[in-house]
Amino acid sequence: MIAEMAADKNGAEKRVKEAYAKAQEYQSKFNDVITFVDPEEQLKDLPAEGLMRGVPVVLKDNVNTKGIRTTAGSRILSTYVPVYDAEIVEKLRKAGAVYIAKSSMDELAMGGTNLTCFTGPAYNPWDTRRMTGGSSGGSAALVASGVVPMAIGSDTGDSVRKPASFCGIVGVKPTYGRISRYGIIQYASSLDHVGYFTRSIEDACVTLKVLAGRDDRDMTSSNREVPDYSALLNSDMHGRKIAVLGNVIKNISNQETVKMFNDLMDQLRAKGAQVDVYDFDENLMRAILPAYFIIANCEATSNDSNLDGIRFGVREDGEDMAEIMTNSRTKGFGPLIRRRFVIGSYGLFEENQERIFRKAQKVRRVVVNAMNDCLKEYDAIIAPASGNIAPLINANEDQDALSDENLIAENYMAMGNFSGYPSITVPMGFEEGCPIGVNITCRAFEETTMFDVAKAVEEITGYKDLQAEVK
Amino acid sequence: MEYDVTIGIEIHCQLKTATKMFSGAPTSFGRKANTCVNEVDLGHPGSMPQVNEEAVRKAVMACTALHLTIDPLIKFDRKNYYYSDLPKGFQITQQFHPIGRDGYVEIDTAEGPKKIRIERIHMEEDTAKQFHLSKVSLLDYNRAGTPLIEIVSRPDMHNGAEAEAYVEALRQTLYYIGVSDCKMEEGSMRCDVNVSIAPKGAAHLGTKNEIKNLNSISHIGKAVDYEVERQKQLLEAGEKVMQETRRFDEKTGTTIMMRRKEGNVDYKFFPEPNIVPIRLDAAWIKSIQDAMPELPSARKQRYERDYGLSEHDINVLISNKEMSDFFEQVVKYTKNAKSACNWLLSDVSAWLNANEKTIDTCELKPEMLAKLIGMIDDGKLSNAQAKQLVDDLMDGKDPEQSAEEKGLKQVSDTGAISAMVNEVMDANPQAIEDFRNGKDRAVGFLTGQVMKKSKGQANPGLVNQLIKAELQKRIG
Repeated sequence: MIAEMAADKNGAEKRVKEAYAKAQEYQSKFNDVITFVDPEEQLKDLPAEGLMRGVPVVLKDNVNTKGIRTTAGSRILSTYVPVYDAEIVEKLRKAGAVYIAKSSMDELAMGGTNLTCFTGPAYNPWDTRRMTGGSSGGSAALVASGVVPMAIGSDTGDSVRKPASFCGIVGVKPTYGRISRYGIIQYASSLDHVGYFTRSIEDACVTLKVLAGRDDRDMTSSNREVPDYSALLNSDMHGRKIAVLGNVIKNISNQETVKMFNDLMDQLRAKGAQVDVYDFDENLMRAILPAYFIIANCEATSNDSNLDGIRFGVREDGEDMAEIMTNSRTKGFGPLIRRRFVIGSYGLFEENQERIFRKAQKVRRVVVNAMNDCLKEYDAIIAPASGNIAPLINANEDQDALSDENLIAENYMAMGNFSGYPSITVPMGFEEGCPIGVNITCRAFEETTMFDVAKAVEEITGYKDLQAEVK
Repeated sequence: MEYDVTIGIEIHCQLKTATKMFSGAPTSFGRKANTCVNEVDLGHPGSMPQVNEEAVRKAVMACTALHLTIDPLIKFDRKNYYYSDLPKGFQITQQFHPIGRDGYVEIDTAEGPKKIRIERIHMEEDTAKQFHLSKVSLLDYNRAGTPLIEIVSRPDMHNGAEAEAYVEALRQTLYYIGVSDCKMEEGSMRCDVNVSIAPKGAAHLGTKNEIKNLNSISHIGKAVDYEVERQKQLLEAGEKVMQETRRFDEKTGTTIMMRRKEGNVDYKFFPEPNIVPIRLDAAWIKSIQDAMPELPSARKQRYERDYGLSEHDINVLISNKEMSDFFEQVVKYTKNAKSACNWLLSDVSAWLNANEKTIDTCELKPEMLAKLIGMIDDGKLSNAQAKQLVDDLMDGKDPEQSAEEKGLKQVSDTGAISAMVNEVMDANPQAIEDFRNGKDRAVGFLTGQVMKKSKGQANPGLVNQLIKAELQKRIG
């Protein structure tokens, strides 16, 4: 879709303006935008050529845009106007993309519901009683409702890949270092990835070509050459070895999802792939979420120290500097964020650090080693991206947070952030009229393999350019 | 009671680089506030640090000059604390893996040369500068992000003079190799001096006090001596020394308490996740080490060996690198290094002081100073005459030309001088009588008369010699 749009040079202005109008029209239904960006100026400044020339896109609101308010979904940054563009904004503009909105997200990208944005929840286009998932929920909704063919997200635990599952679209988190993080308001630097949503694997290939590449301003970005993903795309599964994450299947109680997944595996086998069930150490799988939680919160409490009302953030009154900082942070952050900062800070205290933060990092290494063992034998690891469709926003079901279903089946995807390995969610099927996705993870910088397997899945399901019908 | 005094010093030194430690913004001193900054220095959300290669190079040079072992794997850590001068809410430093460990610097003490051990050198970024006014505080972020090295000594010093010598040795070394301006008065080199005392022979060190705000080397000795005395008096009075941060007060020459230290602050150090460890190439390190500029200690030895200057003169000359560099230019044109050194340290220095200039901002040319020295050595000018040419010389003029313009030339013609000697003696018989009666000052009187007669142009050595000979003859 992106390639066709970029080729249709005369249609650029009309297309972008229509998308802009549509986003505004849908806002009352999905509440998925924090700030609309009038595309007029960007349209005047379109390059003659570009892989995304005249393609309307959306940026998650933690992507810095020069002169345009960037809030990261938090009240404390509700007046923050960046003085510089994120690297990916420059890359998108160079490719001719036009961004029309800054999308809703969980506050500071911490959360998986998109219910904690200071502008209120984003609603799932397939069923507005349901959540989009988070933290990149606004971007997911804008792609799922057909407003734009591509939207930027960020993924620290599963913040692109989970909403992709709930919204029936493609969600990509490439290898750590593949896309520059410069100018993305950080959550947890060692786990943060720039990711994005599309509605087809072809579009995912084009998008990565545009976004990837070394940026000297991000020292963690990679010098590796960026392949032509579109040209290399090959869905032939003969000779491919795929590992089914047995621990996840075992812990999904919804048998409808399990059956849907198993059927898909059979079809992958029919396409020539060798698909085996592979079990990780169950205890290790249980440790992923707590280790993730510690590392993420420890890094976050440090990363967000600049939001104190003095340097950045809405300033609250106080008698002295310390009181201004305390009041600004107390009022500026939601309760969930404050709790996470306290936990993160606790984990970094000298007397706790070895026992908490450093231990979590050791767990992280052990998990990555286990993944490496698996990926020595297999080209890809596959499992449902969630056990169920998007939860109802007002659901009062008290899911046991420490159950294996929650710890393993619903939160294993953070292993992709531990390792930094490329990981993608693709639509797998429907339950109760709502989509559910499957997740594929490959070896570092083997995005081509990841796209190949994802393309095979897309061919099997036929869920290409899947779009929610907006009533 | 006798006490053991223990002193350790931490020095923060700004590295002389074009841009900041972690950003491409220019470093600056004295520029308009908040103009040398970008989003990284201001800690804007989403900005990320980029390690400045030039800063690493300079840190490697500092480690090399001070004999530290270099860790070729560069890693950075975060030091977390909330303070208004710290834009990000954390400082990027090297807590766990400093670039250099275990070095030393040699100092001269009353008991001879002594090695002061250096525990570590690590790289970090400077903070913003604060100006506290009565109602508001102003922040200048130009300084934020300036590359620093922190040099931590072992507690190897035992009196104010040693502390001073240590800082001076570091200052000279770092300045000579060009890694820093080392201007204490401008804050490009800042010392925190830790002082503790304990009864002589005690197994444990006493409670230490940290002295800050030392903006000249001469303050260091004073501050240490005062602090030692203060702590002694406390102990003698049966009181306890509290752990404090104190500042040196220039006016009173005393140290004043800034804050009491109650336990250590927990900075929650952890590895900086946005900077991947950087492996320094061994060949790169070697290329830096092979190209090291001459160290002051080496220059000292060379001056001793090649020029036979006195230790005192060498020390004075070396302490001013520009002067010493100029000296090297002068001796390219003259063999009389001793005289070159004397001229630079006396008349040239005096003129520079009086005219508020430095050797590299004045017009003096090395070859002209050498020429002047040559004229004296050849007997063409007396020292006194040469001194009359200093102003011209310092304005860049050729001394030969100015001597001619001023009509200054030395008469060394024995016949002409003898004639004047005889005239003066004939006119002053009393002086001859005085000399006969053992009054030596008669010689001085007569010399003065001859010099006067020659309008100062007679070679004074020759005059003196001829008068003595003539006197002996006449009283003979």
